[in-house]
Amino acid sequence: MGLAQALTSAVGGLRVTQSGLALVASNIANAETPGYVKKTAVQVAAASGDVTIGVRLSSINRELDQYLQRQLRTETSGGAYASTRTDFFQRLQGILGQPGADNALETVFNNFVSSAQALSTSPDSSAARYSLLTAGQTLAQHLNGMTADIQGLRSDAELGLADAVNQVNSAMRQIAAINRQLGQSSVQDATAASLQDQRDFYIDQLSQLMDIKVVATDHGKVNIFTRSGTQLVGDQASVMTFDPKGSLGATALWDSDPAKRGTGTIMLDSGSGSTTDLIAANAFGSGKIAALVEMRDHVLVDAQAQVDQIAAGMSRALSDRTVAGAAVTAGAQAGFDVDIGSLLAGNTINLAYTDTATNTQRQVTIVRIDDPGALPLPPGATPNPTDKVIGVDFSGGMAAIIAQINSALGSSGLQFSNTGGTTLRVLDSGAGGPVKIDALSTTVTTNVLTSGSAALPFFLDGAKPYSGALTAFGPQSLGFAGRITINPALLTDPSRLVVYQTSPLTAAADPTRPNFLLNQLTQGMLDFDPQAGVGTASAPFSGSLQSYIRQMISQQGEAAATADSLNQGQQVVVSSLQQRYADKSNVSIDEEMANLLKLQTAYGANARVLSAVRDMLDQLLKS
Amino acid sequence: MITGVGPQSSLIVSALGDMRSQLDDLQRQLGTGQKSTTYAGLGIDRGLAVGLQGQLSAMTGYADTVTQIGVRMSLQQTSLTRIADIGSAVKGATLTQFNIDASGQTATQRTATSQLDEILGLLNTPAGDRYLFSGRAGDTPATDTLDHILNGDGAKAGLKQIIAERNQADLGASGMGRLVTGVAGSQVNLAEETPPTVFGLKLASVSALNGATVTGPTGSPASISVNLTSNPNPGDAITFGFNLPDGTTQQLTLTATNSSPPAAGEFTIGATVNATAASLQASLTTAVQKLAATSLSAASAMAAANNFFNVDAGQPPMRVAGPPFDTATALVGGTAANTVIWYTGEMGTDPARGTAVAKVDDALTVSYGARANEQAIRSTIANIAVYATATFAASDPNAKDRFSALSERVGNALTAPNGQQKIQDIQAELAFAQTTVKDATQRQQQRKLMLENLLQGIEQAPQDQVAAQILALQTRLQASLQTTAALYKLSIINYL
Repeated sequence: MGLAQALTSAVGGLRVTQSGLALVASNIANAETPGYVKKTAVQVAAASGDVTIGVRLSSINRELDQYLQRQLRTETSGGAYASTRTDFFQRLQGILGQPGADNALETVFNNFVSSAQALSTSPDSSAARYSLLTAGQTLAQHLNGMTADIQGLRSDAELGLADAVNQVNSAMRQIAAINRQLGQSSVQDATAASLQDQRDFYIDQLSQLMDIKVVATDHGKVNIFTRSGTQLVGDQASVMTFDPKGSLGATALWDSDPAKRGTGTIMLDSGSGSTTDLIAANAFGSGKIAALVEMRDHVLVDAQAQVDQIAAGMSRALSDRTVAGAAVTAGAQAGFDVDIGSLLAGNTINLAYTDTATNTQRQVTIVRIDDPGALPLPPGATPNPTDKVIGVDFSGGMAAIIAQINSALGSSGLQFSNTGGTTLRVLDSGAGGPVKIDALSTTVTTNVLTSGSAALPFFLDGAKPYSGALTAFGPQSLGFAGRITINPALLTDPSRLVVYQTSPLTAAADPTRPNFLLNQLTQGMLDFDPQAGVGTASAPFSGSLQSYIRQMISQQGEAAATADSLNQGQQVVVSSLQQRYADKSNVSIDEEMANLLKLQTAYGANARVLSAVRDMLDQLLKS
Repeated sequence: MITGVGPQSSLIVSALGDMRSQLDDLQRQLGTGQKSTTYAGLGIDRGLAVGLQGQLSAMTGYADTVTQIGVRMSLQQTSLTRIADIGSAVKGATLTQFNIDASGQTATQRTATSQLDEILGLLNTPAGDRYLFSGRAGDTPATDTLDHILNGDGAKAGLKQIIAERNQADLGASGMGRLVTGVAGSQVNLAEETPPTVFGLKLASVSALNGATVTGPTGSPASISVNLTSNPNPGDAITFGFNLPDGTTQQLTLTATNSSPPAAGEFTIGATVNATAASLQASLTTAVQKLAATSLSAASAMAAANNFFNVDAGQPPMRVAGPPFDTATALVGGTAANTVIWYTGEMGTDPARGTAVAKVDDALTVSYGARANEQAIRSTIANIAVYATATFAASDPNAKDRFSALSERVGNALTAPNGQQKIQDIQAELAFAQTTVKDATQRQQQRKLMLENLLQGIEQAPQDQVAAQILALQTRLQASLQTTAALYKLSIINYL
């Protein structure tokens, strides 16, 4: 021990104090920097043997609670998920309009019904006819607009996914880079601490986008996995790719089969040459990406399907008519004749028969199919949960039709035949046979304005009639709300709203057709496809158009309100965690100031020691 | 690179921002009175709100309908009341004396012409742009013009021509009402023409006569024979009964007398039965001719008018198949090319009320259609038209009798017989519809009020609550801002 030792110690003290000051300065400067974690210096006495020979800085500590950090990340994921969802739900609500306002679907629909009511009161009034057509046009345009808006939201989600995937890739790259840097040094110094700050910031960013598992390894490095355990980041980062499809239409749907897929999907290239479809693997359970995928592929698709159901229901309510079969007998056999010549694709032959062995009634629905690619029909092709649905390709003529029906139903004891023209005859096998036929009818979409029936093709699918055709690409209802238009022939000749036959010519004030329109719109009971999310497969929603709209708005409103309250709850959780995390990790200016005072004092003291040593050395040398 | 606002400040800022946006929302609620701008914000009753809006909208629709059909039905009622009044007035006028002017008509007949015009005017008065007595053809007037109906339109025959043709057919060439008389020895014969015809007088009955064998009417065409076996005593009478084309019957009585020549309605008892038979035949011929010129003429005009006005779906105006008309034997349907179809509205065999049906409540419809060719209206018009078109020549000795025969028939026919539709029946049916509408409207007004209240409860923001919330929030926001400011000031740096 000597003066030299004291000198060294004092110089060490000055150096440590300076480092401390630098740390205080850095803490204060970064007090408001996101991701910055308060640093504290750990100083230890430098000892030689059991003699203290000075002081040195052993490490820079990051003041954080790792358990809290992990929890915060999970909840941040949830928070981003909830807030993205609620954001989209709110925008979807905007599409449904303000309750009772002119831009609300219900108002537009109610106006249409009111116009039909006015027309039924004054069928001969050309003002009433125009007003119904205008209201119908407004309604069609409103549905078109809603479709465009919903698909716009889906496109936004698609673009959002593209952005998110870019952010994920950039964050993963950065994390991997930092991992490599950390691997090179084994000391927890200021550089390492700052790198870890940066890395945590990127991990936080990543956790907002998707739910991840973070596993710490040696040298303060981390590995990152998806929730299903696929590694995303180690020393190397995997790369996610997304193939955005730009603007999405109602028929552009996600599918695991790339040939059928109309949207982008997220592929993970783990670097080993193998790629995984992360959406197919259901890798996203939370975070912004999960919310965007859920919106794009489920919520908005359902919303579109509901709007489509309204368009389809409305169109068919006005255009479809049911034609009952004529009872016939042939020898001991009894049954019905029905003409199937005017069926359009998607129209049905409805057969009800009793299985006499068990005395149970069975229903068979035979659907006209023009696109053989749609065959065989999936179960649930009609909303009715109890019927047996048979798709029949009509392109081969009557003989082929009969053959197809017989091959599907021949074993039941029912006999199908063609009695000339396009007449389908269904017979039982005589009294005491295995079946008894109860009823046979066809449901036909009217495609001319003066068919003699009150039904009319008021709305069209582009230029085609809407008959609910089933094709290999999906049902005609898919995106129909975006294509629905009012029949241009009605705009050319509004009198067809009243005139349903030309010989004899329907009188101008004949209320038959206007009353039909009004009744169908207000009281017509329709079966709605449960796949749109209203009703279930075993108990499909059956009701008037009005009640379906009500149900849809109710359900959408409820979903949006739930999403919102979920989001609010989640934000509370996130902020309270952030608060707690901040209490531990954030820079407190007061504390830093106090430290500053301490350091100033320590610096002064060390300097004082230094100057005392110098004085002593001077005295020593002078003497 | 680390950028952005740090967590510490952002927490405080976001809390303040939340409060601020809450305040904005409350202000919006206060301003618009609406609880929310989305269905999500309406709460659990949002489905109910949609349903209520639908019901209220339907009710507005019903109210519009009620206003519209209210006007229509009261116009119909006014028109029908006036038509019934005119019917009564003409009925009263038929009791007046025969007093023709230079035009060959009485003053009451000319009044009837203008009253007929008024009826057509009433039937053709539109409510807005809708004709109320045209059935489903609301865009066309119910009837043709008076001029066309009475005088024809170019090649199309009008009522006057139809009546004239029918008159020829009913009277026949000899003016005998398509009957022939004959005498052979002591036997007098009275027979309908051969070949059989639907026109003229039809033999209905004959009474006995002392000293004579009376047979008939038998055969087809029907005939009556009176075979005198001995002369009747003076005062003995024989009565012939006839059916007339309008469904009325007429009796013709001839009384035996010793005076020669016999007065009207008598025949002379001759020296022999053959001479008596000859006188009976002569008197019968004169009497039948007189009957034909008076009652038959009037009945013929009534029948012609009924046929002319009785048009409907599958029922053309019937007219005499001719020319020649005086030997015609049957009626034929007139076509739109050769006969004026007076009713221009929609025809149908279904009930006329059903041609206009209005929905006035969710499950309530009223029927208020009417057609001008409904029986009550049609027969009023037909009767007045017959009365208005008949003309008389001052030189015609039978004119007065024909006038009174016509007046009596028109007067009787203007009161519909039991079991036939009356104007009042139509009015009663419309009145029932009016009452139904009124009741429905009252019900709806009450329901509407209730629904509106309910909807307000769901959609509207309670003003006092919102105001109170704004106050509370304002206080909280102020306090937060002040505390935040104070907290930020409270830093050691200020005290160093």
